[in-house]
Amino acid sequence: MLDSWEAARTYLPILIPAAIIQLGLMVASLIHLATHPRVKLMPRWVWLIIIIVINTIGPILYFIVGRTDEEDQ
Amino acid sequence: MRGFMVFCRKELTESYRSYRLVILLVVMALMGIMSPFTAMILPDILSGSDLGGGLILELPEPTSFDSWTQFFSNVSQMGMLAMILVFAGLMASELSKGTLIPVLTKGIPRGTVILAKFTVATILWSLGYAVSWIICWGYTIYYWGAQDFTHPWITFCAPWLVGELFLALMILGGTLVSNWGGSLGVVAVVVITGNLVNLLPEVRPYNPITLAAGTLGLLDGSHSVEDFTPAIAICVGAIVLCLILSIVVFKRKQL
Repeated sequence: MLDSWEAARTYLPILIPAAIIQLGLMVASLIHLATHPRVKLMPRWVWLIIIIVINTIGPILYFIVGRTDEEDQ
Repeated sequence: MRGFMVFCRKELTESYRSYRLVILLVVMALMGIMSPFTAMILPDILSGSDLGGGLILELPEPTSFDSWTQFFSNVSQMGMLAMILVFAGLMASELSKGTLIPVLTKGIPRGTVILAKFTVATILWSLGYAVSWIICWGYTIYYWGAQDFTHPWITFCAPWLVGELFLALMILGGTLVSNWGGSLGVVAVVVITGNLVNLLPEVRPYNPITLAAGTLGLLDGSHSVEDFTPAIAICVGAIVLCLILSIVVFKRKQL
């Protein structure tokens, strides 16, 4: 028990910011995907899976190659 | 000069609106966070793993040097990859869409366009690199205590300089071919040749690609600054050459 508490105290200062960044990226790209009906390269549902399943790299890929600027009508 | 500032401002707004700035900062921040973390957990993951025949791998306690080793390898691989993907469309997307024509007919010289694009890309890349470095430095001090670097500028600016070379190469590639593939192709060719040429030990001191991860030797004292000066000089020369070539090509290009 002590061991895991020690480990948590050691790693939490790193893990919390990393988790916040990763979750933030995922939420931001999901919001963008939800408000933009047109996407590039792949169908929307594939992008949805990519964003949720591939940690960090999925949302970044979406923003670089999948995103369009066309807003929801 | 006024045209330069106007074009720079336009580029900055564009990189903000196209999420380039945010993506680069987020990736670089993650690199900075993950480097000390990987250094810390790597011995825990690997130690105790049975290599077969009862051979147990024992790794020493991680040190700040391991943290910087991870930083260099992360930045020179994932960091550069992210930077290349973010900036690949820098010249190419505007040339293929023809959005530069109204700007050029307003009288902004073509050379200014190239230099302004390079300047803004440099600002973004420097910002991203600085964020990554500061985060990694902070965590390294937090976990391993403060340390003295003998040549901090050369050690830590070398990967940044290689990034600058890639930016200049992407501008040249984009100007030559007018599409993403051109930018990526030029960088890919340089990286592959750079790594192949590295197999010859006598070329290594002159090869800019070694700068991406090689200056780590300055931290543990196994290398001296003089080992890297030729590569740094060649790298700076190559950046200037790429920019001049881009301007020459762009001036003759039919839009």
